[in-house]
Amino acid sequence: MLLARIIPLLLATVLLGACSPPEPPQLQLATLLPSAKPVADFNLVNHREEVFTLGSLKGHWTFAFFGYTHCPDVCPTSLAMLAQVMDRLREIRPAATLPQGLFVSVDPQRDTPETLAGYVPYFDPDFTGVTGDAGQIKTLTRQLGILYLKSDGENAADYLIDHSAAIILFDPQGRFHALFNVPHDADKIASDFLLIRDYYEATR
Amino acid sequence: MKKLFFALLFCTGSMLSMAGEGPVASNAWVREAPPGASMMAAYLVIENPGDTDVTLVDIESPAFAHVMLHRSVTVDGVARMQHQDAIPIPAHGSLVLEPGGYHLMMPAPDTRLVAGDNVEFILIFADDTRLQVTAEVRKKP
Repeated sequence: MLLARIIPLLLATVLLGACSPPEPPQLQLATLLPSAKPVADFNLVNHREEVFTLGSLKGHWTFAFFGYTHCPDVCPTSLAMLAQVMDRLREIRPAATLPQGLFVSVDPQRDTPETLAGYVPYFDPDFTGVTGDAGQIKTLTRQLGILYLKSDGENAADYLIDHSAAIILFDPQGRFHALFNVPHDADKIASDFLLIRDYYEATR
Repeated sequence: MKKLFFALLFCTGSMLSMAGEGPVASNAWVREAPPGASMMAAYLVIENPGDTDVTLVDIESPAFAHVMLHRSVTVDGVARMQHQDAIPIPAHGSLVLEPGGYHLMMPAPDTRLVAGDNVEFILIFADDTRLQVTAEVRKKP
């Protein structure tokens, strides 16, 4: 009986969907940019010592987190959470291409490609770590509103860095598409991402 | 005989409650760090069942060169770590050290600690009370 009431509703939804643009998704955690923001090119290096530029963000979705490997609490917590997002996506849509998981160092003075090669794939073998020239990192981060600043440590070599904890989502055109503010939750990020991707594909 | 029994029971009871009034630590764990990571973090819960406030002032560990008391705070989306000289735990209250909040920060030892290893910490309070706690190295909480 219930089914008889639901089917016409479903049909109406499908028909309406066919002739009007889909509604923007209702998101739990993500902030969608009113219109995706193109990013100017930058020149960095990944943990495999390969060049990493704007082109490396194109052709697939990318989740990016900005931090440093001397950070023992917030950064491992965020990267482990991001690895959980990937696991959730593997469960929900095993056949779909996974987004790229990116860790961008805001501490190029200490984070070499070699440091990142030990650190980043530990959380997920498919994650990519990126570092490079301090000016080039700034070229990327300032387009995204990502902030970071050295703060005191026990001694000069032990400094800490205050840094934005948000996760940035780039779309397959390499544009700044959405961001996820703290507190992060892997299930909410995974389900928001699928809604964002479906909406993107339906409105292209 | 009966009197003696109750007297003994009373004594034992009060001794136990005295012994039970100091701070108690539980769920202590160290986050396994990726290979080559320079810093590690540890977490635990400290309960203070006593009637007086206590203050955590220092932590020592034979496994680490030094242990720092830190707190991660996120203000306007920016995460920062703040060094803590001392953390008070009110009477009948507790202090939770957890990811993204209060934590212990230690330099990673030369020999990498991996999930399943155990390390000792000694919590030192302002009144010189020392509390030893064993923490397990784990990949996640």
